[in-house]
Amino acid sequence: MSILIGSDTRVLVQGATGTQARFDIHYCLEYGTRIVAGVTPGRGGEVVEGVPVFNTVAGAVAATGANASVVYVPARAVKDAVLEAVEGGIQVLACLAENVPRHDAAAAVAAARAAGARLLGFNTNGVVSPVERCKLGGIGGDRAHDLYAPGRIGVCSRSGGMSAEICWTLSRAGLGASTCVSMGGDPIVGMRMLEILEMFEADPATDACVIFGEPGGTHEIEVAGALRAGRLKKPIVALIVGLFQESYPPGVSFGHFAAVIKGENDTASAKRRLLAAAGARVAASLEEIPDLLPRG
Amino acid sequence: MKLLEDHAKAWLRSRGLPLPDGRAAGSAAAAAAAARELGGRVAVKALVAAGRRGKAGAVKLVHDADAAAAAAGAILGMELAGQRTERVYVEQAIDIAAELYVSFGFGRFAPQLVVSRRGGVEIEAVARGEILSADIDPLSGLSSWRAAALWERAGVDSRLLPPLASLTARLYDAFQAADALMLEINPLAVTRDGSLSLVGAMLEVDDCALFRHPEWQAPGVADAGSKVLSEREQAVLEADRKFAGGAIRYTELEGDIGLFVSGGGAGLLQHDLVVAAGGRPANHSDLSPASIDKPAALFDAIFANPRVRGVLVGMNYLQLLPCTLVIEALLVSLRRNGVDPRRLPIVLRAFGPKENEARALAATVPGLRYMPHGATLGEAVREIVAAVKAGGT
Repeated sequence: MSILIGSDTRVLVQGATGTQARFDIHYCLEYGTRIVAGVTPGRGGEVVEGVPVFNTVAGAVAATGANASVVYVPARAVKDAVLEAVEGGIQVLACLAENVPRHDAAAAVAAARAAGARLLGFNTNGVVSPVERCKLGGIGGDRAHDLYAPGRIGVCSRSGGMSAEICWTLSRAGLGASTCVSMGGDPIVGMRMLEILEMFEADPATDACVIFGEPGGTHEIEVAGALRAGRLKKPIVALIVGLFQESYPPGVSFGHFAAVIKGENDTASAKRRLLAAAGARVAASLEEIPDLLPRG
Repeated sequence: MKLLEDHAKAWLRSRGLPLPDGRAAGSAAAAAAAARELGGRVAVKALVAAGRRGKAGAVKLVHDADAAAAAAGAILGMELAGQRTERVYVEQAIDIAAELYVSFGFGRFAPQLVVSRRGGVEIEAVARGEILSADIDPLSGLSSWRAAALWERAGVDSRLLPPLASLTARLYDAFQAADALMLEINPLAVTRDGSLSLVGAMLEVDDCALFRHPEWQAPGVADAGSKVLSEREQAVLEADRKFAGGAIRYTELEGDIGLFVSGGGAGLLQHDLVVAAGGRPANHSDLSPASIDKPAALFDAIFANPRVRGVLVGMNYLQLLPCTLVIEALLVSLRRNGVDPRRLPIVLRAFGPKENEARALAATVPGLRYMPHGATLGEAVREIVAAVKAGGT
């Protein structure tokens, strides 16, 4: 079992003929993901890494039964790509572009949520379920099997790169992930961190969760609230970075566009305090994460 | 970025929204001429995107052209929020009967409308119960009847509701058309004859959508902010715009360890680790490369910083790109800047696709310290901190 994706996931790739898409499709197929179609308007009939390319999502879905999409189009084309996918009946989307114009992001997210589709990103590198051998997007690169060992830990990260470091740390400690979600680093993303943790809460294959957080925004604060209210019961280990940012004036962007401190409550140390007070186990370093997880 | 008041108001005016007439002026004489053209009482305001201009004495209400010249003379050259005032905005003063507040911004997912009957003061000073907000569905936009419902709950007089609701809906359209992150009208003035006027207008537009608004990329449109960019920061900004695909960001700091760190979160973590290990970063950086041009430009900036005494090339386990891309960019920049890694310690931590090829490439340059496969981010950080300490004594 896993969340968001599984062995019945049939993936289409929007923007399949681009360089990054080709790179990722190659390793996704090697990993075992069932990529059934690509979509690039005007390039229907071509073949990428053995995958047939269609002109439209509707055409690809009709021919292949695709139910998930990885969206590789550039930021300025993201809104239309998501709207097309949602209209075509796609249920799970990973949207890789970063710095998507805010109004486009809001419209795309609204369309996905209205249709009950799950949208990861913007600025995600995907989602991987090591148990089901399925991944959307570049997550794991050429060594998804090494970095993401199968196990019973649910991982949710605001950073795609850190999802790899966390899961690699788990693997080396003899632990593994049920599903690892890179939720996206843009200011508006399709799913809140809390919504992803609620899915892990309901997933019988997940015993505990690891979250990776940053300054800025309220994702971690919402998680702390749900923990305190008893709505999340599985143990949560939290790694929240960006302490150094507190020595600089508010409003300075150092990394992800969403990681900008606006007030007193969205700093890394405030989030660590809130999560710890709510019952999460706050890790001081990557290496400490395995020690804080329950052993099964 | 925040647009300066004259550009923000010109944009709103171009959409047919009601605003007091106004002109920008760069001298006392120009301010006097503007006041004569406008006629009657005028407000003279500093053209900088600083808040609380009134409190700082940078907004003056005057009755004639001579007084406008004097006011402009006093305001021009003023230092506000770290910026020197170069121009003033001369605007027709209107007879205000009531002041309202309306703004548009973003909530967790959707655009948000905020209104209050208490305009004319900073919104932070208004009691929470008197501020109302509603999410807007970005797909259907804001209807005038939903705006009317919110204003009614805010306690606005019934007779004012129809024009106010229609204006609010048109403001939302302007907010969206401008690709704005924030549009704040404070005060939204109700004049003695019952008409509405956007007296205070702040427009912050989305840097990520500037490709749709080339007119706002010209100098003098946006608030420059109080931060003066270093030559190297400016160069990175220009390279980021010039080369297609990916992104680079570079912020210079006071320390001596150059950070070439990637992947948002991993960069923040490594920066924390450097500080915890007793090192002082010379900069923060972030990159998502598409070709070697942008990473090479980022390396150039780091090597050009005279404070740098060691460099950490710390990548999270690469998933989206080959390690060779980073090393190729490094080698190009080393050559371009005449940097010798035997004298300037450079620690590399880059694992992932094409790692063996990257190692072979790095081995062609003596002195590069490529961490063994499996080394943690923390180990690479401790290596560079120790190397810089050893080199500095």
